Amino acid sequence: MMRIEIHDLTKVFNNERGLHPVGFKVEKGGLIAVIGHNGAGKSTLLKILANWILPDGGEALVDGLPLEKRRAVARKIGFVPETPNLFEFFSVEYNLKLFARLFQTPFSRMEYVLKEFGLAPFRRCNVQLLSKGLKQRVSIGRALLADPPMLLFDEPTSGLDFEMTHEIYRLLKAFHAAGKTILFTSHRPEEIKTLATRIIVLHQGYLVFDGPPDNYFQSEIHEKLYLS
Amino acid sequence: MIRNIITLTLNDLAIAFKNKTIYLVFFIPFFVFFSLKLVDREDIGPVELNIGLVRDEMADPVILQAIQSAGKALTVSLVSDEKEGVKSLKDRKIDGLLLNSKTREKSLVLVVLKKESVVTLSLVEVFSALQKATEGRNPGWISDIRPLQTGGPQRQTLPTWTLMLVLLVGFLILPAQVAEEKEKKLLLALLQTPMRETEWLAAKVFSGMFLMIVAVLLLHLLGGFCPDNFVGYAAFIAAGGFCFSSFGILLGFLCRNQAGARTLGVMFYLPHLLPSALSDFSHKLTVVAPILPSYQFYKPIKSILLEEGRISKLWPEWAYLILVGLITLSLARHLMKKRWLM
Repeated sequence: MMRIEIHDLTKVFNNERGLHPVGFKVEKGGLIAVIGHNGAGKSTLLKILANWILPDGGEALVDGLPLEKRRAVARKIGFVPETPNLFEFFSVEYNLKLFARLFQTPFSRMEYVLKEFGLAPFRRCNVQLLSKGLKQRVSIGRALLADPPMLLFDEPTSGLDFEMTHEIYRLLKAFHAAGKTILFTSHRPEEIKTLATRIIVLHQGYLVFDGPPDNYFQSEIHEKLYLS
Repeated sequence: MIRNIITLTLNDLAIAFKNKTIYLVFFIPFFVFFSLKLVDREDIGPVELNIGLVRDEMADPVILQAIQSAGKALTVSLVSDEKEGVKSLKDRKIDGLLLNSKTREKSLVLVVLKKESVVTLSLVEVFSALQKATEGRNPGWISDIRPLQTGGPQRQTLPTWTLMLVLLVGFLILPAQVAEEKEKKLLLALLQTPMRETEWLAAKVFSGMFLMIVAVLLLHLLGGFCPDNFVGYAAFIAAGGFCFSSFGILLGFLCRNQAGARTLGVMFYLPHLLPSALSDFSHKLTVVAPILPSYQFYKPIKSILLEEGRISKLWPEWAYLILVGLITLSLARHLMKKRWLM
């Protein structure tokens, strides 16, 4: 079964950057890395799928649902943005409770998330006092509150130290093992060599590669984009 | 050191320019200048007063002759009855209305908007001078002054304070709040949930209305004011709260960040506050102000608080506020759906 189907998805910003007609399909259970340089269109792709921005053309289906059915799609996709967008003046618990209410999930799920992500000791701490790594964990926890079958991570390790980066990769592997379909962006392909089951490469808004990691690392594209 | 200070000062100015704060520096003096231009200048030259007389209720011929001989200082407008006269007075077409006194013969009752006002003082002075010139004795033609607006200066200014509080929440607090949620991507986070757009908008309207009602309530409790027509007053506070909360949300959607929203808020706050609040002092502003939703809020609450107005006669203003609220709210919903400047 296809989790995501993308047909000629387009988004062009004023400076011509964005996404030129892009199309691919994502099967259930994939751990897919979307890589490319800055401005390649990686974040734009994820933001369109997360309903943050509206596409100029094309179509994207999530479990057969068009993105226009935002409320239904919201239960299917959890999105973790590059910069955690949390209510900074409130506690970790407040943030998770608010979203648990909006997702209409029981508070026991929030307790599970707090425990699972090691956030229980910080539950009463104001988010603004947390480190970036902890904020990222709260953001991931929030995305998982409704237990969506698909997760989108935009540059999940951006700005994190070595230890925290590996912690995030460990989490991605764990989610994948739990049967979730994952799409994440990165501009450091070497780091995700052993992580992704499939690599999609975007370059200046165009899809230039789509295949298994082994094929990618032996391809001319990798050499051209990252080695030369 | 000086170089750094200059660099940082220029940087601050560039930020102020970028987030449009600098526009306030130009906008506020220009706006105040034009508003003051519209306020009739009563301090220059002889005051020209317009007095209303009821056609079938002509005053004593001696008084009438004296009024007609007053020349430019006093012009006369004839009205069909007392009701029309009161309406003309409220619309500021006349400055005062003369009625025959029912208790004293050969004397008059002067109906004015406010007892403690420059216009009332001028009218009394003119009539005293006319009587002295005609009869050469102490003033006595005007035996009573009946103001349409009751209460002392504290109560007289209450509608202005109420308007100010409602506009403060609507144009300064709410747009900044909406823009902040956009700027920090909090609204997008909320839109990641199955929440409806209308639910978010309704919550924002209710929070705005709540703040406005609390502020107005506090003002009334501290001042010890209680409107006689409580239901009508509450209906207008609710309608005004809805209208200006929706307006504020729309302004928030038009801006990318908080600083921009504050600037835009002030640009809407002053033009809504000043013409309405100053309309009491100016014929010209009374003509201009009704275009603004703030006047359609200010006029009825003033009427209810000071002139015993009833909602049955003020429903067009109430409906107008609700209509403006609905239009601005649907525009805000449209921008939200379009992810405008998010």
